[in-house]
Amino acid sequence: MLKRRRSKLEITDIFIYAFGIFIIAIILYGSFETLRQGKYSASQWADLFVFGITIGGIYALIALGYTMVYGILQMINFAHSEVFMAGPLTAFFLADALAKSGLLATNPAISLLLIFAFSMIVSTTVAVLLERIAYRPLRHAPRLVPLITAIGASFFLQYAFRGLFGTQFKVYPEIPALEGVVTIGVVRLTYTQILVMISAAALMIGLQAFVQRTRTGKAMRAVAESRESAALMGINVDSIILTTFVLGGALAGAAGVLYALVFTQVSFAMGFIPGIKAFTAAVLGGIGIIPGAMLGGLFLGIVESVGPTLFLDGLNIAAPYQLKDAIAFTLLVLVLIFRPSGIMGGQTQEKKA
Amino acid sequence: MKAFNAKYVLVLLAIVAIAALMACAPAAVQPTAAPPTTAAQPTAATAATAAPAGFQPPTDALGVVTIGPNDPVHVGYMFVTSGADGALGIDSRRGVEIAIDDKGGKLLDHQVKFDGQDSGCSAEGGQAAAAKLAADNTFTVVLGSSCSSEIRAGGPTLSKAGFTVISPSNTAPDLTDPAKRFPGYFRTAHNDKVQGAVAAKFALEKLGVKTAATIHDGSPYAEGLANAFAENFEKGGGKITSREAVSPTDTDFKPVLTKIAADKPEMIFYPIFVAAGSLITKQAKEVPGLGDSVKLMAADGTFSPDFYKGAGDAAVGMFQSSPDFSAFTGGYAKFLEEHQAKFGEKPVSAFHAHAYDAFNIFAAALEKVAVKGPDGTLYIGQQALRDAVAATKDFPGLTGTLTCDPNGDCADPHIAVYQVGEDNVKNAVVPSQPFWKPGQ
Amino acid sequence: MPILELKDVHSYYGHIHALKGISLTVEQGEIVTLIGANGAGKTSTLRTISGLLHPREGQVFLEGEQINGLPAHIIVSKGIGQSPEGRQIFSRLSVMENLEMGAYSRKDKEGIKSDLDHVFRLFPRLKERRSQTGGTLSGGEQQMLAMGRALMTRPRVLLLDEPSMGLAPVLVETIFEIIRDLNKEGVTILLVEQNAAKALSIANRGYVMETGRIVLSDEASKLQESELVRKAYLGED
Repeated sequence: MLKRRRSKLEITDIFIYAFGIFIIAIILYGSFETLRQGKYSASQWADLFVFGITIGGIYALIALGYTMVYGILQMINFAHSEVFMAGPLTAFFLADALAKSGLLATNPAISLLLIFAFSMIVSTTVAVLLERIAYRPLRHAPRLVPLITAIGASFFLQYAFRGLFGTQFKVYPEIPALEGVVTIGVVRLTYTQILVMISAAALMIGLQAFVQRTRTGKAMRAVAESRESAALMGINVDSIILTTFVLGGALAGAAGVLYALVFTQVSFAMGFIPGIKAFTAAVLGGIGIIPGAMLGGLFLGIVESVGPTLFLDGLNIAAPYQLKDAIAFTLLVLVLIFRPSGIMGGQTQEKKA
Repeated sequence: MKAFNAKYVLVLLAIVAIAALMACAPAAVQPTAAPPTTAAQPTAATAATAAPAGFQPPTDALGVVTIGPNDPVHVGYMFVTSGADGALGIDSRRGVEIAIDDKGGKLLDHQVKFDGQDSGCSAEGGQAAAAKLAADNTFTVVLGSSCSSEIRAGGPTLSKAGFTVISPSNTAPDLTDPAKRFPGYFRTAHNDKVQGAVAAKFALEKLGVKTAATIHDGSPYAEGLANAFAENFEKGGGKITSREAVSPTDTDFKPVLTKIAADKPEMIFYPIFVAAGSLITKQAKEVPGLGDSVKLMAADGTFSPDFYKGAGDAAVGMFQSSPDFSAFTGGYAKFLEEHQAKFGEKPVSAFHAHAYDAFNIFAAALEKVAVKGPDGTLYIGQQALRDAVAATKDFPGLTGTLTCDPNGDCADPHIAVYQVGEDNVKNAVVPSQPFWKPGQ
Repeated sequence: MPILELKDVHSYYGHIHALKGISLTVEQGEIVTLIGANGAGKTSTLRTISGLLHPREGQVFLEGEQINGLPAHIIVSKGIGQSPEGRQIFSRLSVMENLEMGAYSRKDKEGIKSDLDHVFRLFPRLKERRSQTGGTLSGGEQQMLAMGRALMTRPRVLLLDEPSMGLAPVLVETIFEIIRDLNKEGVTILLVEQNAAKALSIANRGYVMETGRIVLSDEASKLQESELVRKAYLGED
C-alpha cells in the first residue's frame, strides 16, 4: 500500500506527512522535556496510567458496540451513546433502592450483579428496539439514510429519558465494599478501579471467545464479510444482526454501570461525550475490527490521562488538560495519516482494496 | 464491502481538532445579532388613532413599548432552569415571583405577566433564549441571565432589540467592563473582582495558606473569578502553583488533580459549576498526592443542593464564597417566610434576593418613565427605561443599598465564606450562616 | 416430478426486468447447464432459485413444494446449495470455519462429520490448508472451498455459478472432473457457465439464455450440434 502511495505522491500527501512528522517531533520533544525536569514521581505517572486504563476500559466496551455494528452493517450507530446512557440511568433507581434497603452494604456482590444485570437488560432492550424499529426497515435504503435515522434516534432517546427522569443528574450510592486501596510497588489501585479493569477485561475476553469460538460468533464474522454468502449458508442474517445489537447493548449497559461506579453521576446527557470518545476509539483501532476497538479505547484513555502532562508540561504550556480532547483528536489524525484504516486495520484493508 | 474512506475521516477530524482548539480559546465568539424587532414605533398615524386629541405619546430613540389598557406588563426572564445548574435559575425565578407578589401582582394598575426561557447555563443556550425573547416585542425588560456565558452570547441580541437587561447572578468582571458591556445591561449581583478579592483574603488571612492552584472551566464566570482570585492572592504575597483549565463536560478530573498535586499547593480554588465542581470535590479525595490536608474552596457557582448531592461526604469541611446572607437587610426575614409559604422550602441557591431586587429596580424605573394615556394605555420609552435604571441611586433592596454605576454594576456587594457541614450534605441544603466575612 | 421447477418466473433489479418469464426443470440426478452471454440472466436465475432475489411473478418448486418468497436461509435448509459467482468465500474465516458455516443450519453432528470427510476427500488441498484463512488461498483453492462449503449444506440441488471463471486450464479440468464425480454420487446439479463447450460436455441437458429469456433448450449433445450454439457460444463459424 505504501508503495502504491509513493508512486503518486501528491502535494497534499507531502503536507499531511510533514504535519504528522511535525506533531511527532513536538510530542517527543515535549515528553523528553517533561521527563528531564523530573517534576513528577514514578507513582504519579503510575496514577495517571491507572486513571487512563480505567476510563479507557470503559471507552473500549462502548467502542465495541460501534465497531460490531459497523462491521456488520457498515453503518455508524450514532444512537449507541444513548444505549450506553439508558442502562445506568434506569439502574440508578435499583441501586438507590438497594442502598436504602441496606442490601448494598450487606450483600455488595449480589447487589452489584443485580445492578449490572438490570442495566445490561435495559441497554440491550433499547438497542434491540432501535434495530427493529429504526434500522431494519431501512436495511436496503442508501447508506446515508440509516445514518441520519441514527442521529434522530439518538435525539429521540435523549429527550425521552430527559422527559422520564428529569434533567438533574442522579448520584449513585456509595458502595462501602468498594472503598479500599491496594498498593503494588508504585501502583496504587482503588477497589473500584480494580473492579472496572477486571470486568472490562473479562467482558472483552468473553466477547472475543464468543466471536472466535461459537457458531453464532463465527456467523457474525461471516455476515460481516458478506451478507449474501452468509444467507446462502443458511445463516439467518437478520437474527445475526440482532444478536450484534444485543451484544453491543449488553456491553454498553455494563460499561454504563462501570462509568457510574467511577464517576457516580448519571444523567440523560451522560452518553454524548463518552459516545464520541468511544467512536473515536473505534476508528483509532480500525473500525469494524473487534480487537481494534479494545486497543483504541485503552489507547485513547491513556492518551487523555497521561498525554497532557507528558507532552505539554515540559513545553510550559499552561493548563494542558483543557487541551486533552484536542490532543486525543490530533493523535487520531496522526494514526490515520500513517495507518489510514486504524491501528489494527492494516492487513484487512489491503485485502479489501 | 466498501473500504472506510480514510481521507474523508481525516478531513473531518482535522475540522474537529480545529473546533476543539477554538473552543478552548478564551475569546468569545461574537454572535450575529438577530435583526432588532423594534417595538411599536410611534408614528404620527398610530399616535392619532391610539390617543385622543391633546395627548401626545412619548417618543424614544429605541422605540416605545405600548401596553393596551387591558394588557399586562410583560416581564421576561432568561434563567437556567434545568440540568445540573437548574437550581441557580429556579432560585432567581422564585425571587422575582415573590417580588411580583409583593407588588400585588400589578404595576401601574396593569397585571404583571412573567415568563421566559431556559438558557441552559451555556453560550448556545443563551443565544437561543435571547433570539426567542427578542422575537417578542411585548417585553419591557428581561431579567437574566443566570450564567455569565449565557448573557455574553445572547446579550447583544437583547440589547439591539432595545430591551433593558438586569441580571441577578452574572458575576463575570468583564460584563461591566466599559469596553465590553453592551448598552442596557445591568446587574444586581456582585462583580467577581469583589468575590475574588474576598476569597483571596480569606485564603491568606483566615486559612493562612501561601500556595494555591486554580481550576476554571473556560466559562467567563469561572475564568474571570479564578483570575481575580489569583491576582489578589499573588498581590497578598501568595503563590499560585498552577492555573489549570478543564472543560465543563469532563468527568475525569483525576489526571489534572494529579498534575496539580505535583506542585503541592496548600489549597485548590475551583470556582466552576455544579456538575464538574462536585466531581472535582469527590475526586480530589481519591488522588493520592493531594490527601486530606489540601484545602478545597469553590464559589457561588456551586452554591446549590445538587452540588452537595453530587459531591457527597467529600464536600464536608470545604469552603465556598457566596453572597453574605447575614448582610441582607431587614426585609430578608419576611422574604424567607414568603418563600417558605410559597415554595415549601428554603431558597435553593444564592441569588433569590438579588433577583427580587432586580425586579424592584426595574419596577421603580418603570413607574418613573411610563406615560399613561387617558384610556389607560401605557407607553414605555425603551431608552428612557434604561436611563431610569441607570439612575438608580440609594435604592433600598434586600441585598443592601443599590446604586448603579455607569457600567451597570448596581450591587451592594457583600461576600462571605461558608463552610460545608455534614447536615448540608445529608439534607442537601445550602448553608445559611457565613463562616467568615471580610473584616473579621 | 422434477426436483426443481421454475414456472414463468419474472425477476427485477429495481426497475430492470432481469428475467422475462423463465421456465425450466431439473430432474433428479441430472446435470443441467444454463449457457448464455454476460447479462443474459443466468446468475439472476440462480439468485431467484436460492431466494437472494424474489420473483415478482411466477413460481419456483422444490420437489413440488413452492419455495419462492421464502428467505434465502430457509431455502438453503430445504436443500438448495449454491456456490455463488466470484466464489465469495469468507476471506477472514479459516478454511475450516468456512466449511462449518456451510453446515450452519444443520443439527446432525454425525452427518456433518461425514460430509466434512467427504469434502476433504474430494478436495485434499482444503484439508492441508484447513487452518489458513480463506483470503490466503489461491483462486482454484477458493473455488474448491466455495464448492465444498455449498456441499456442506447437504444440498439436494447444487447450484454452481461460473466455477471455472478465472482459473488456469489445468484447474478447469480438475473442477469439471469433480463436478462429474459429484453427479455420479447422486448430486443433482444446475450449472451456469460461460465456458459452454465444457459445460455441455458434462451436462445431460442445457438451456440457452438471451436477454432474460430462454431461447433454446435440448439434450446437451443436440445443443452441441445446434447452429445457434455453435456460432454464438462455441466460437465456431
